[in-house]
Amino acid sequence: MTKNTIISVILFIIMVLLQIICNRICLFNIAVPFVFIYFILRLPMTLSVNWVMTLSFLIGLVIDIFSNTAGMNAMACTILAAARKPIFSLYFPREDEMSNPVPSIRTLGFVSYLKYMTTLTAVFCVLIYGIQLFTFSNFLLTIYRILGSTLLTSIVLIGFDSIVTTNREKRL
Amino acid sequence: MRNLLDFFIKNSSWFIFVFYMILSSILLFNNNPFQQSIYLTSANSVCSSVYSGISNITSYFYLRDINDELQKQNAALEIEVVSLKNIIEEYKLQNLDSAAMIQQYDVIVSRVISNSISNQQNYITINKGALDGISSEMGVIDQNGVVGIVNVTGDHTARIISLLNPNLRLSCKVKGSDFFGSLVWDGKSPYYAILEEMPRHVKFEKGDTIITSGYSAVFPEGINVGIIDEQLSTGGDNFYSLRIKLLTDFTQLSNVRVIKNYMKGEFDKLKESDNK
Repeated sequence: MTKNTIISVILFIIMVLLQIICNRICLFNIAVPFVFIYFILRLPMTLSVNWVMTLSFLIGLVIDIFSNTAGMNAMACTILAAARKPIFSLYFPREDEMSNPVPSIRTLGFVSYLKYMTTLTAVFCVLIYGIQLFTFSNFLLTIYRILGSTLLTSIVLIGFDSIVTTNREKRL
Repeated sequence: MRNLLDFFIKNSSWFIFVFYMILSSILLFNNNPFQQSIYLTSANSVCSSVYSGISNITSYFYLRDINDELQKQNAALEIEVVSLKNIIEEYKLQNLDSAAMIQQYDVIVSRVISNSISNQQNYITINKGALDGISSEMGVIDQNGVVGIVNVTGDHTARIISLLNPNLRLSCKVKGSDFFGSLVWDGKSPYYAILEEMPRHVKFEKGDTIITSGYSAVFPEGINVGIIDEQLSTGGDNFYSLRIKLLTDFTQLSNVRVIKNYMKGEFDKLKESDNK
């Protein structure tokens, strides 16, 4: 448990720093990689929903403070955290068969992880741009941005997850 | 009582969810940009030290472009200095040099440490703050044109409302005429903004320069903003809108100048007494 806690704290800091750098990226004026949601995706499935929501809210708030988007990421992350478990059990009805509660390519397999990750990324992008739609309406551009950001974030996260996973195997 | 406690424990995740949603909604919908607490903006000390560290590295990447632009501006300024010198000589001949010249504006040079262009409301953070003489509602420009207006200041950092933020409306006019309108960003592209409320009877050419009007104390008159790209068709009212290509490249901001107006207090007082 303590090992998991330390990994989570380190991952929290790395994700915030990475997202600050990624905030500068806006491919073709539509696609932004929301890398930091990897932290939420990677929290162990055995962790209680209350903890998941608290941690997600915190990372959202920190990102908000850094990118001057008061409350936007915090709200989207909280909803994402609440939706995580139902979406996971949609693809894996019997979670007790899992050897390791941390969702990753290694524990779920590539295709299953891709399904899980893409769904949650799409949910997050819809939420973020949906919330932005309150303050400003640009409907067509919003649709493009949701699609572009979902695609870019998924690609980046698959790459990131395979890096993290291979490092672990080498250490073992 | 016991049932009530059981109920709370059983549904605790719902309560926590609702609590966080309310908290983030308060933050989200209570965002008058001039009233935000400094701790919740990128002008606080933790954010600024992280951003300074990153920008120490990344500022090197833009050096070549900035150098080119500075060279060009230097050349333009040299020409201007020469012509101004000639004018001063002329005035000296007419014995008018004793007229009191008041220095109205001063500039504070500072570096951008964080910048966004992809959000609907964009902000910029710079590495000079209240201790360097920066206060709220000062104008910010770079070598090409207008960048934004300062809104939150920390001791050593300040947050600027970027021109790419619909909360900012800038009074502008077309160079060489006195017809003015207000410039606002439409949230689509970081290279274009819309100049609204231009009177319908005036005809403008594509490529005309748009400058600040000087009708507020924030920017002096005549700072470049952009050039006219196309005229947008509007309904049947007496005004029309122009699409403006911004001269400032918001995708690679690095050094900006904050304009300090020594006569702002006086100006505001005059305006206030006007409204009475």
